[in-house]
Amino acid sequence: MRILLVLLAACGTGDHGGRAAATTPAHRIVSLSPAVTELLFALGAGDRVVGRTTWCDYPPAAQRVPTVGDGLAPDLEAVVAARPDLVVLYPSALNEAAAAKLRSLGIAAILLPQDRLEDLARAAQVLGRVTGREPAGDSLAAAIARVVATPAPGPGIRAALIAWDNPPMVIGGGSYLDQLATLAGARNVFHDLGSADVVSLETIAVRDPDVIVVLADSGATGPPAFARRASWQVIRAVRERHFVTLRGSLFGRPSPRAPEAIAAFRRLLEAAR
Amino acid sequence: MKWLVLGLVAVASLALAVVLGPTHVPWSALASSDIIRSLRLPRAVLAFLVGGALGLSGASLQALVRNPLADPLLLGLSGGAGLGAVLAIAFHLGGVWALPLAAFAGALMAMALVYRLGLAGDVEPDPRVLILAGVAVGAFSGALTTAIVSVASAAELRNAFLWLWGGLSGASWDAVLVVAVYLPLPALALLAAARPLDLLALGEEPARYLGADVAPLKRRVFVAASLLTAVAVAVSGVIGFVGLIVPHAMRRVFGHQHRALLPAAFLGGGILLVLADTVARVAIAPRELPVGIVTALIGVPLFALLVRRWTTS
Repeated sequence: MRILLVLLAACGTGDHGGRAAATTPAHRIVSLSPAVTELLFALGAGDRVVGRTTWCDYPPAAQRVPTVGDGLAPDLEAVVAARPDLVVLYPSALNEAAAAKLRSLGIAAILLPQDRLEDLARAAQVLGRVTGREPAGDSLAAAIARVVATPAPGPGIRAALIAWDNPPMVIGGGSYLDQLATLAGARNVFHDLGSADVVSLETIAVRDPDVIVVLADSGATGPPAFARRASWQVIRAVRERHFVTLRGSLFGRPSPRAPEAIAAFRRLLEAAR
Repeated sequence: MKWLVLGLVAVASLALAVVLGPTHVPWSALASSDIIRSLRLPRAVLAFLVGGALGLSGASLQALVRNPLADPLLLGLSGGAGLGAVLAIAFHLGGVWALPLAAFAGALMAMALVYRLGLAGDVEPDPRVLILAGVAVGAFSGALTTAIVSVASAAELRNAFLWLWGGLSGASWDAVLVVAVYLPLPALALLAAARPLDLLALGEEPARYLGADVAPLKRRVFVAASLLTAVAVAVSGVIGFVGLIVPHAMRRVFGHQHRALLPAAFLGGGILLVLADTVARVAIAPRELPVGIVTALIGVPLFALLVRRWTTS
């Protein structure tokens, strides 16, 4: 975490990694994360994105940008072949190594945390600066900050966010979906756990959520397959068929579309109650 | 007396697994609780049957290949069964009843391959080479399984992969029924082979002189042990080391005669897996450990000890 802060500070003050990016606006950017791609397009710098991951599907214009792989383990050859003057990555161990390699090749690389909306506001500011669109970056950051600061109405529907069914895996307090649920007026019954943890069905049953929230691949329709399994019937929300299915990329990652995601999530929660 | 104690420990372990869990169920509610009836009870019973199948399979394999390190996992059977199951899911043949059969086919293929490698030119397979071949075939099956899951995009297949390591969290009365249907036949076949297995432990040549019909016996034991492993893998994924540790522990108490050793290995395997799964459920509650981690934490040190004793003797 400290390394990230140093890197962020570095690209702000204009030395080390962010040097080229900070002094002259970046013109050829490879984005190795869907959230960063969305941000760049939202800032009006979409035409400078020369490489994206296969996950970067929004906005639709982004899909015309050539991909450089799935971004999980960056394909450095593909990235360099796009001749970028700036590469933006999510700070994972693999990406940190890739960023160091890129810098040794003379290509500026910055790592931007983007786990929660607060991170995204900061990322919007940084990207505004490195693309020479500071006012746009600052106003986008302020808009995101307003969303974070707006409390959800009502007492909160108790929800369990299910990431996987066998073994049962729930999403805890560390993750973006937890934040999104809170802002949409839900209370995650597993807020005390990490980002994704395996739990027993009986633990879910005893914490007794009012609704079960699942993230679905876009193709799936109707309640999830596990809803039919006998062992899941110990959970009241499953018996009563109170499911909220979140589809598509809108909910899966922090993005400038957060207000839209929160409003949609809120409608789904109301409908499921 | 020994049998009474073993039986009592089995009952006690099952009771413990039902009473203990990540959440508190009051004594007065034990009989009426949904959590007990549809979660803990089927899971404890399934753990017992799967552990028993693995213990029995391990004990007979150790006699068959005359290697104290034999175990369904180390002989590549579990890996082959997992590959068979994942292939079945990939080709949409994966119903609850078909999955054990697909796993069985995978286990048989793995076993045949291990045996071919183990023969290595000789008429009688070298017990040490068999284990090496088993580890190689197991690793190869694991790699193929991972490759299939990585190439496939279907969500259910990714699910299959997690299930393979998921242990007993998918337990249900349906799964118990599947095991209860598939288990008796291979279990009885092995128990019936107890006497000839005693002879085989002396070596294939001496066993033949003493009147054992070696080739059919070996085939029967291989097939039965493969089916037991396959059923276990199909309902609970790959769980290692139960089949390795339990026969050794039971041999100390019940001796080397398979007529006593095999049923004891079944009960002992059941007890071990029920207890390991209880640890997996409560140790870091509300989160859950994969039960394979717990059995490996117990099994690997013991494995190291066995290797040392075996290589020095």
